[in-house]
Parts: sequence; structure tokens; C-alpha cells
Amino acid sequence: MKKNRVLAVVAAVAIATSSFVAFAPSASAACSGKLKIAYQGPLTGPEAALGINELNGVKFALKKFLDANKSANVDPVVYEVDDQGDPAVAGPIAPKVAAEECVVALVGPAYSGASKVSLPVYLSANLPIITPSATNPTLPSFGKTIFHRAVLTDDYQGPAAARLITSKVKNAKVFLVNDASDYAVGLQKTVDITLAGRVVGKDVTPTGTTDFTATIAKIKKSGANAVFYSGYFSQAAVFVKQLRDSGSKIVFASGDGTLDNQFVKLARKAAEGALLTAPAIPFETASPKLAAEMVKAGWTPGVYTTESYDAANFFLEAIKAGNTDRASINKYVSTKSSKGLSKVLKFDADGEVSGADVNGFVIKNGKIVLLGAIKA
Amino acid sequence: MDFALLHDAFWGLTFDGIALGAIYALISLGYTLVYGVLRLINFAHSEVFMIGTFAALVAATGLMGVKVEDDPRTGGSMILTLLVCLVAAMLASAITAILVEIVAYRRLRKRGATKLATLISAIGVSISLVEFFRIITDSLPREFPRIMDKTFLFSYAGADIRNDKVIVIIAAGIMMFALERFISKTRLGKGIRAVSMDENTSTLMGVNINRVITVTFFAGGLMAGAAAFFYILVYENTSFKVGFFLGISAFTAAVLGGIGNLKGALFGGFALGLMETWTSALFGTAWKAVISFIILVLVLLIKPTGLFGESIQQARV
Repeated sequence: MKKNRVLAVVAAVAIATSSFVAFAPSASAACSGKLKIAYQGPLTGPEAALGINELNGVKFALKKFLDANKSANVDPVVYEVDDQGDPAVAGPIAPKVAAEECVVALVGPAYSGASKVSLPVYLSANLPIITPSATNPTLPSFGKTIFHRAVLTDDYQGPAAARLITSKVKNAKVFLVNDASDYAVGLQKTVDITLAGRVVGKDVTPTGTTDFTATIAKIKKSGANAVFYSGYFSQAAVFVKQLRDSGSKIVFASGDGTLDNQFVKLARKAAEGALLTAPAIPFETASPKLAAEMVKAGWTPGVYTTESYDAANFFLEAIKAGNTDRASINKYVSTKSSKGLSKVLKFDADGEVSGADVNGFVIKNGKIVLLGAIKA
Repeated sequence: MDFALLHDAFWGLTFDGIALGAIYALISLGYTLVYGVLRLINFAHSEVFMIGTFAALVAATGLMGVKVEDDPRTGGSMILTLLVCLVAAMLASAITAILVEIVAYRRLRKRGATKLATLISAIGVSISLVEFFRIITDSLPREFPRIMDKTFLFSYAGADIRNDKVIVIIAAGIMMFALERFISKTRLGKGIRAVSMDENTSTLMGVNINRVITVTFFAGGLMAGAAAFFYILVYENTSFKVGFFLGISAFTAAVLGGIGNLKGALFGGFALGLMETWTSALFGTAWKAVISFIILVLVLLIKPTGLFGESIQQARV
């Protein structure tokens, strides 16, 4: 018995040291090969569309960079980290990413939940990240010095959406619908607070709802002249189509989850006149020329492609300026600025982007048209 | 609870609930047929449905040259396009169903595999089909062009009766009637009933089991394909995950009515469609699943084999 116990202690110590030894070099050891840019987000599973939009932005930025800087010591292949947007999947992957010596920068994680479990790991390995889309306001406390965010948080978008509706609809009476996701519930809450007395009814249509008959009956009965849908584009398209097919002509408004060309493609005529908000800007709006070039290269831009493209470019600029390890790249993005397609990226002490706006959009003739920044 | 809404919009909700229920019922027939014959839940059936939606889409855009930006068609061209889409969806689903049977079940059955092995095989096929479609569609939903203009035919007690839903209800009724005739009157249909009663005795009486099973999957596939077309006609979109939620609802409908029982599947489908629509109005859409499943549990507590009991041979509609 005693011997066994001694063995167990020895084994435990051995495991502890080995994991420490395996983990320790990731923070300091230099990369002997080409430097790698990582992207983390959902690349498979039901949330994959968003991750693929973002990955495409990173791929395109990397291709443009290497075309212009042929001798750069950067791997032409993006180091892909598929967390499926799920904290449970992200947990075990993050240490592996952190241990890859040549991964010097990471665009992502795409989702707030996955960010919360990944960021502490990257912090201990000093791996700098810029998230293009995780909008939960509490994230800086998880990532501290390595955390940067290329978009405004949900604390800004909801009030902006409410202001957009009240500025476009006379005597707005708004019905709120959300898809029960964390994002949608959080966003709706801030819209609700800003609209205050103008909300005439609410319904929740969980992800996967295909039939909105009852919701539409409620909207009609409530006498609303606008509906704010908090959720993602694929379901928003189904909803707005059924709303229009039911004969209703009230204003349809939604947030960044809906700001996607796919929404227009899916909802077609029913999408006309829809008011959308986002801390992001579609790639086609930001630069039609680059968007065409990107499509030609085989990658389709979608929501948050622009922000991912900007984030990747900031890292690549850091490398171009002669920074080849995590610490110096982190210092570069934390202190310098980068002129992106969406905005000038300049991070404050919390890693939050400053001087950014929430944009308003309207769908006109099948195109997402930028209305401009929504003023307070 | 919004009783006023349920009261005011009752007929509109009921009409829409019946249209939704018709789609559930058609899918649940596939679950119930296969269960009746093999005592097996074909978990890949939701993907049989999903493939039907994509087949209808390919038929419309590829075969009939409909573009998503086109105006809806009219007259003969519209009817022809709709029929081609319907047939394409039914055939694609039926062929998929047969292939699933051959690949995932037949050999296991011959080797006397356990029910659990077959179940896992079914889930495996389902997941591979979903992932395959996810990859080839880039995880994106696809839009179905509007072939037929959606118009209100008339209003009844505040309910706007829309043409596409009327078509779904009538056409689904015809399909169900045809299937019932097939099962109860034809030689093959009798074979299906015989196998579902007693497999060994049927074999001794000269019934070709494999043929009966193929026909069962084929018939279930045809119904799922029809459901797929009606779904895409009304909701005008599909994606790799479309089978998941509808599959669960249809499976629930089958169990509610009594799995293995045709009449049960029909009744279960319509009951679930109506229940979901009414409870959505009464409690809010988020509560629809909660209430529907509570009702399911209550029904099963009182009648564990479902409302109409198990097995096909009792289903003399």
C-alpha cells in the first residue's frame, strides 16, 4: 500500500512537471520556421457560416500581404482553430494553440462564450488576440493585456438600433422578437431599455423556429408599426418573408446578426426597406473593389469579414515592422494604430477600439446601403 | 396567457396549424412505416426529408431554369414547374431512403446485429449526410425561388386563406389517401402488413422480406419527399439542418399517434401542428415545445402506446 502511495505521488509530480515543461516554452521559445497567424471561431457545426466569413477575411488579408511582401517570413496558410463557437470545445483546444511556438497572433475568438475560456490561456502564453466579433462587454477582464477588440460592444449597438427606429418611424410602436440566443437576448434588452414606453409587445422564437404564424398574429394584434428582430440572418429571413406574405407592411429592423448579404438573398423582396445596425461594415460597402477581388480569389465575404481582414492586417503590419515574437507583436498592436477598411484600429487600455461608431443600414433594391453612423 | 389573441385569431391559427400539421404528418408516415416493419427508428429519415428539399431546389433552378430573381410563374408553366419539383423531391427522397436501408441496415440485419448497433448505424448515416450537405452548401441556407405567387383566396372569420397552404393541405390529403389504399389494397401493401404482424410467419408464407422492406422505405421516402416539396413551397428556404427540427417534430407526432400505426401518424401530425400553433399564440412561441412535449408525456402516461396503439395492421382507416 505504502509503495503504491509513493508511486502515486511520484507519478503526480511527474505529470505536473511534464505538463509544466510542455507548457512553459510556448511563452518564451522562439519559432524556428515561418510565423503563423491563427484564426479561431466556428468552422464546422451550425454556427460555421460566421466563422467562415471571418476566416475568409483573414485568408484574403494574408494573401494580399504575401503578394506584396514575397520575402516575408510568414506561413501562407492560416492556422485554423475550430472551436465551433462552443466554450466546451474551445477549452481543450486553447492550450494546444498556445503551445504552437510559431503561432504569434490570433484573430478571434469569434464568440464571447468561447472567448471567456480561451483568453486566460492565451494571456498566460502572452499570445496577442484581436477579436472581430465577440461583443460581450466583460471580455477585457478575461484577456487583460493580450485582449483587443475590433468592434464596439452590445452596450452600444442596442441603443443605436433604438435610435435608428425612432428616427425613421413616426410615433414608433415597436414589437420585439428574439431568437433566445445569448446574443439576441442581450441585444434586445438594451433596445428595450432605450425604447422604453414605445414597446407594445414581445415574443421569443427560439433558434430553429420555422413557422411564425403565432408571432405574426401577435404583432398584428399589438398595433405595432415596427418590429425589431434580435437574432441571426437565416431565421430573420424566414421571419420577414412570412411577415410580408401575411400582408403586413410594418417596418422591419434588426441588428448585426442579420447584416449579411445572405439575408437579402434569402428574403429577397421581403427584405426591402429593412433597417439594420451593426458595429461592423459589410466588405462590399467598405471596398467594392477589394470585395470583387476577394470573390475572384474564391472567398465570399460576409458579416465581420471586414473586421477580420482589418485585424489580420494589423498583425501583419506588426510583423512587417520587424516584430517576430508574441510579446513584441502584442506591444505593437496595443500601442500603434492601423488604418483598416472599417475604421482606424487604435486600442485603449482595455483593448477596446476607440472612436468607432455603430452604423445604420437600409436594404434598397436588393443591396445593403450604408446610412452612416447613428448619432447619439 | 393571451386568450384574447387565441380567440381573435383562432381560425387563422387553425388553418396555418393544419398546413404545418400536414407536413409533419407526411414525414411521420416514414418513421411509422419503417417502425411497423422493422421495429426500428430510422434516424436518417430527417435527412431523407432534407435531401428532398434540395432535390426540389435543384429541379426548379437546374431542370426548369427558374432564377431566384424571376417573377413567379403563371398558368401551365407554373403547374409544370411545381409538378416537376414535387416529383423530383419525392424520387430523390425515396431513392435516398432505399440507399440508407441498403447501406446502413440490410447487412446488419442479415448478420443479426443488435437493435443498438442498427440504431447507431442510423445515427451515423444521419450525421454523415448532414455534414456532407453542410460542406457542399458552405454551411449556408439556400433560398427557393417563388414559383407561384402567394395570394389570399378568401377570408373566413378573420382567417386569411392563402393559396400555397391550401395546396399543401389538399395535396397532402391525396398522398395520404393514396398511401392508405396502397397499404390496405395492394399485394405489396398486404406484404408490408404481414411482415409487421409476424416476420417469421410471413417468410414461411413466401413473402420476400427484403422486397417488402425496400418498398416500405420507398413509400416512406416518397411521403418525406412530398413533405419536403410542400415545406419548401411554403417556407421557401432550406439548409443542411432543416431535417433536424422537423424530424424531431414528425417523430414526436408518430409517437403521439402510436408509432407503427398509419392513422396514428396522420392524427399525430395534425394534432402537433395545431397544438404548436395554438400554444404559441396562448403562451408565446418560446413555450411551444414545452407545452407540446408536456402534452406528449401526458398522453403517453395515460396511453403508453400512443393514441391509436402500435403496429400497422390495426390501422384500417
